[in-house]
Amino acid sequence: MLCIAYASRVKLRRDAVLGTTLAMTRISWAHAVLFTLAAGSVAGAAPKPIHAKAPKTDVSRLATALSGTDPELAAKAADDLGESPDPAAHDALLDALAFGLAPSVAVPAMLAVVGHPAPPDVVALRRYAGHRQPSVRGAALNALAAYPDPLAHAAIVTGLHDPTGIVRAQAANAAAKGRVREAYDPLFALLDRGEESAAKALAELADPDLARRIGDHLGKAPDPMLAECLGLVLRRADFGPDSARVDIVRAIAKISDASAVDQLTQYVDGTPKTPPRESRKEAQKVIDARLGGGK
Amino acid sequence: MSRTQFRVSARSADARVLTANGSRKGQVKRAILAVFGIGLVACGGKGVFSLSAMTDNDRGALSAALAHRQLPPAPSPINGWQKPRVFAVQATSPKSIVAFDLAAGAQLWKANADVQSRIWVGGNFIIDVEGHQLVARDQNRGDVRWKASLGGELVGAAADRDRAYAVWHDGASFTIAAFDGSSGDRVWKMSSSGKLGAPAAQGGVVYVPYLEQWLSILDGKTGVQLARLRGIDEQISTLRVTSRVAYYGSKQGMFELDARSVAGTREGATYGKVTIPPQLDRARYGRDMYDPIDATYSANDRAHVLWATEPTDTGPMKFSGGGYAIAYFRYVFGFDKTGALTWAYDHPRIELIASAHTGAAILAVAANGDIVELDPKTGGVRQQLSLGTTAPVLGATFDADGWSPPGEAKPAETLNALVEIARDHDARFERVKELAVATLAKLPGPEVTAQLLAVLADERAPLALKDDVVDLIVKRKDPASLPVLTAQLLTQADYLAKTEPESLGPVAKAIAGIGAAPLDPVDIAAAVSGLESHLDAPTTPIPDLVLVIDALAAIGGGTERAALTSHVLLYHSDDELAGDAGWDRSIVRALVDHGGPAEHELLHQIALDPRTVPSLTTAINDALVE
Repeated sequence: MLCIAYASRVKLRRDAVLGTTLAMTRISWAHAVLFTLAAGSVAGAAPKPIHAKAPKTDVSRLATALSGTDPELAAKAADDLGESPDPAAHDALLDALAFGLAPSVAVPAMLAVVGHPAPPDVVALRRYAGHRQPSVRGAALNALAAYPDPLAHAAIVTGLHDPTGIVRAQAANAAAKGRVREAYDPLFALLDRGEESAAKALAELADPDLARRIGDHLGKAPDPMLAECLGLVLRRADFGPDSARVDIVRAIAKISDASAVDQLTQYVDGTPKTPPRESRKEAQKVIDARLGGGK
Repeated sequence: MSRTQFRVSARSADARVLTANGSRKGQVKRAILAVFGIGLVACGGKGVFSLSAMTDNDRGALSAALAHRQLPPAPSPINGWQKPRVFAVQATSPKSIVAFDLAAGAQLWKANADVQSRIWVGGNFIIDVEGHQLVARDQNRGDVRWKASLGGELVGAAADRDRAYAVWHDGASFTIAAFDGSSGDRVWKMSSSGKLGAPAAQGGVVYVPYLEQWLSILDGKTGVQLARLRGIDEQISTLRVTSRVAYYGSKQGMFELDARSVAGTREGATYGKVTIPPQLDRARYGRDMYDPIDATYSANDRAHVLWATEPTDTGPMKFSGGGYAIAYFRYVFGFDKTGALTWAYDHPRIELIASAHTGAAILAVAANGDIVELDPKTGGVRQQLSLGTTAPVLGATFDADGWSPPGEAKPAETLNALVEIARDHDARFERVKELAVATLAKLPGPEVTAQLLAVLADERAPLALKDDVVDLIVKRKDPASLPVLTAQLLTQADYLAKTEPESLGPVAKAIAGIGAAPLDPVDIAAAVSGLESHLDAPTTPIPDLVLVIDALAAIGGGTERAALTSHVLLYHSDDELAGDAGWDRSIVRALVDHGGPAEHELLHQIALDPRTVPSLTTAINDALVE
């Protein structure tokens, strides 16, 4: 554990270098873990229980590799440490992040940390959310999505203002994944500027109220982007009730761009005829009217 | 009588003035000779303007010539009513002359006139060249009083209460003639084969530059040469005449005409020159009397030194109020006797096409007809009037010597004027902007710093100016400016807000410059916080980042160590940042010079880390060895 060795020699603690950890209560942390697990399942990533049985990991050897000069070995070590349920493996990752990792190693290290999220992670990850390398910033923001912590959310919101497009896209993705309500306004601002990542994030976040707000951006956001955003909401299996979908169909109908018909067509094509849905009928009517094929 | 005889007569006349000065006998002889001379010059005498016509720098002749002048007891306008007036030429079609009473603030008259020259003001008339003729107009009504043909191309003209004078040339042959102001009758005329400059008239004498080195003083009534001055160490090409004082000289400086002028040298005469900042290098002391351009209104009238003097028996020239001013296109600057800029006036948008120092006020006319009257000591605006013109004003002549506008001057707005100049987008005045920012930078206070920063933030400001401003901000070392500098740090790169940090490098450099000064701890904390935000910002350019680190080290007092430590740890193996020699040097020096044992040990450990970029390792080892 080279990194830890360095730290111990200079009496360098993560919280000494980076400041104290978050003032989170036990309850909020419990919520965090539960939410992360839920979010992981939504995103299709299998949650990894912290104390699940797994082969014994040689944390010391991996920590040494993680802080070694071979980036490939270091990245592999990060992956392996992330797989390990051993708390020492998590600490090794945090130690390495605290001492500073090259971009090619920092990204897998952060992904590994999120495998077993814990409160101290946020401070370490936020530090990398401001890294000069966009790829590192993006990875850090994605990782922070797993933490229902105000500081994590603030970092994600900051990421939405990032001058680099790919970082903003990652921040938007993180905002959706972490269901960051503070991100709504900047996401709408990005939607108005035609950023597809914002459209997707808003679509993922939308409840009927937020969907109405999206519809109100007719004339502000580019038509194709607005149509796509609303179309994504409409096609979400978990979005409802159907009256809300009807509202969305009507909002899409107001979009004059041809993309509106495309979105409605995708919705009609992807929705079974039975049981009958008012929103589907409404969508079909709009399509027929727009294409001149009404019967 | 032959020309040779005239020259002899003229010389002998002067000799008699010398020998019989004050004696009745001498006076009689002078009178006889004067009458004799009238007859000669009326016939087109030429001998006055020959090198042998007169003894140069003759003390007695000069004293007599000076005494010959009929000067008002106090400075006053030339016109018979002694009303302060200005006469302006408008670019109407056809052109027109507007006469304006400054005291009444009202237009006297306006008349169409094909003006081809400046306007010269006499007692109850004005003259100008219209077409190819010298034209006199009634000063109260503007009607044409008389016209006189010129026998060549006008060099210049002048007027006093009773007469008009004009110099013209036909090839190499120059002529000066005097005309009665009322009738236009030619009073006398003389020719010269040597180059004559434009005349100036004062109290019955006429000053005529001759061959760029002499100044002939003629009796306006007779044309007789009363005295002649030779510039020994300076050309005589410029003349400026007020109701009581005459100045002559060149672009180098000006002599005040007095008894000491006989010396002919700067040291022996009453000589003065002012410091003209290089940024105002087009400014001149007066018209070049040999330059035909100056017989008309031109851009030359927009760049002038403005001054008044007090009499002195010892020299050098003694400036009234201890300073002078320079009118420069849209601006007027006041300077003290050391040449330090003391005030500035910026005329909104429009150029000042004419200006004059009355002794008590600085008057200027703008191209749109605005008239502004400034306090020469403070630059405060005393009065603003309007000619009431509808077309652009091409040029103007003041007849307002000694006039002081009524009322108190408004407080001078030098700071605002300098700011306006500095932020002026007119590309013609980039050098003037340099002067403005250099002057601004000498003024204390956070508002000045804020204005300098605003210049940096101005996308249209020229880069050279911004470079100057950066240097000046850094050199200011004004502790009171820390909050302003800190406020500048609040702006971050933000895609949604469409903002970019403004002048981060200069601001950081300026903060570093005042780090050693006593500062409010609250201000320091705010500055450190602002600097740290840029230290952590992913888009801070490396050169600026280096300055941010330097500023943190200079001002932080130890509070910056945690941020710098985190920063160096995060990037010690980053090729882009740790591979930069400037960053290496800065971060290491900050932690070595301003850190404690813990920071030194940390650096030691970083140097031992095999992942550390080699240049950073070297920098650490070098610094720790020191």
